[in-house]
Amino acid sequence: MAVKSTSPLAGLLRKSPFKPIQQHMKVVVKCAKLLPELFESVYNKNQEGVASLARQINDRETEADTIKSEFRQNMPNTLLLPVDRKDLLSLIKEQDSIADGVEKIGQILESRDMQIPAAIKESFDELLQSTVQICLKAQEMIEELDELVHVGFSGREHDRVTAMIKVVRREEHSIDHILRTVNRTLFMTEKELDPVSVMFWYKIIEEVGDISDHAENMADRLLLFLSK
Amino acid sequence: MEIIAAYGTIFMILAIIFGLYMTWGVGANDLANAMGTSVGAGAVTIKQAIGIAIVFEFAGAVLAGGNVTKTIRKGIIDPTNIVATPEILVYGMLAALLAAGVWLMIASSRGWPVSTTHSIVGALIGFAIVGIGPDAVNWGKVGKIVASWVISPAIGGTIAFLLVMSTRKLIFNSENPLRSAKKYAPFYVFLVGFVISLVTMFKGLKHLHIDMTGGQSIFLAIVFGGITSAIGWFFIRKVKEDPEADREFHFASVEKVFTPMMLFTACSMAFAHGSNDVANGIGPLAAVISIVSSGGEVMQKSEMPIWILIVGGTGIVVGLITLGYKVMLTVGTKITELTPSRGFCAELAAASTVVLASRTGLPVSTTHILIGSVLGVGLARGIGALDLRVVLNIIISWIVTLPAGAIMAMVFFFFLKGVFG
Repeated sequence: MAVKSTSPLAGLLRKSPFKPIQQHMKVVVKCAKLLPELFESVYNKNQEGVASLARQINDRETEADTIKSEFRQNMPNTLLLPVDRKDLLSLIKEQDSIADGVEKIGQILESRDMQIPAAIKESFDELLQSTVQICLKAQEMIEELDELVHVGFSGREHDRVTAMIKVVRREEHSIDHILRTVNRTLFMTEKELDPVSVMFWYKIIEEVGDISDHAENMADRLLLFLSK
Repeated sequence: MEIIAAYGTIFMILAIIFGLYMTWGVGANDLANAMGTSVGAGAVTIKQAIGIAIVFEFAGAVLAGGNVTKTIRKGIIDPTNIVATPEILVYGMLAALLAAGVWLMIASSRGWPVSTTHSIVGALIGFAIVGIGPDAVNWGKVGKIVASWVISPAIGGTIAFLLVMSTRKLIFNSENPLRSAKKYAPFYVFLVGFVISLVTMFKGLKHLHIDMTGGQSIFLAIVFGGITSAIGWFFIRKVKEDPEADREFHFASVEKVFTPMMLFTACSMAFAHGSNDVANGIGPLAAVISIVSSGGEVMQKSEMPIWILIVGGTGIVVGLITLGYKVMLTVGTKITELTPSRGFCAELAAASTVVLASRTGLPVSTTHILIGSVLGVGLARGIGALDLRVVLNIIISWIVTLPAGAIMAMVFFFFLKGVFG
């Protein structure tokens, strides 16, 4: 008699969706962390270095994509989850958008030999550092997800994560401030620069700025988990 | 009457073989769900699980299994109309055993989540309809049994929900979860021993000629709870903080406190399983033995001999040793999402509910109650993801199993009737 594992118990208990979300975020942050290095190569006019980093970014983005699609395949709508299924799906989408943004920046820098306008370098560097920082803060928040499930999204853990969410939102606010400075500085000097390059710098600044928006959206999703 | 006199021994041997076959199936498959969680959590090894099963299946069957056996044996079918032809009831019981055993085997090889309880109840009804007549089925009792299949998982779920909430309040949300865990763990282990022994003893040991007052039962249950609690404390106090594991998951050390506690729920699950599921196999067996040994008395007033329980227990243990341990290992590896603290709550809830149902004589499904209990944990937002398709599959399996068991029992009944006349 061939006994299959007929355990309905095994069928009932699916793999926790929070683990792949955390794993995905880990890869996304690895991707975002390459940004300062990428621009370092741009400053040094090391186009080979830019190409190599752009490839690394590309690989991580692909890795993140794989986790994301596998995650989606394992989310049938018959699941009983401690949080809303749609909120989980949009959380991973926001995370993925961060990697997508970094990839786009890499692609621009790989195809065009760009030179940083001297006037914006300082504030742009600040923007990069803050962006990496907000990604790390967002990751910290995501790392608390399995603990949150363990305590049913309540009590001390709830308060801890609420504080973390506040930090991310504050960071996003200060990044907005930096963005205004960078854009304004670029505008003041744009007449002296090559117009096409200026267009692309605006584009790059916009892409970097979007990263913090996605991090903030992640924080908003998490807030929904907490308030369910 | 002549048929019973002529073939009595053959009937008894057939009943024992079919009874063993069915209980073997129960041990090969069903028990894995009940104990797989503790194996998966690493609380007990597979060898220890087998040892626990041997001791506690028997204990459950002997101490708390009598009422369910009685229901299966004489609660569902009213044999008043066949007093003159007792062999009909013998064929019927044999057919029911065989039908349930075969159905269980087919279902297991296909991976359907069927319950032995539902198979045997369906088979008994099926035989009674064709063998005696639809009036011979005690429909009121059947209605109660079917209702209990819905109600019992809900009760298990509610208890599990409350237990999870209490661990959160007392342990996980406290300032120092590890210290709180060590403080309250002996209390939870006490609950295992106390609840199971209280439900078992409270006016429940009459068949062993032990008649205790309510006060005596409560006192003894406290003693049993105290003993389990002391054994639990012996394991729990050794649990050390693991800062390395805690960095990855803050509650890793706390979960380690719950791991040895699952040893006790493994015992209680085996006990609960013994109290309910052993009856499925030995109820019909006991009926046949009683009819044959009384020379054709269908009203079965005699008490059930203990050796029948031992046959049932043996079948289950052999099933576990030959095949069940493999299933248990598979189940164990597949349900790692159920961490020790949640597994503990779910199993304690399930075991208590099953033993309670056994006391009232209701044949329920241990597995389905455990599923209900795990859902209770899920409703407390305590589990990553539960696939509710399983619930649908279980409901379908109820709808399919009752007629399938019934039809097979009808076929086997006519076959046996044809062979023996």
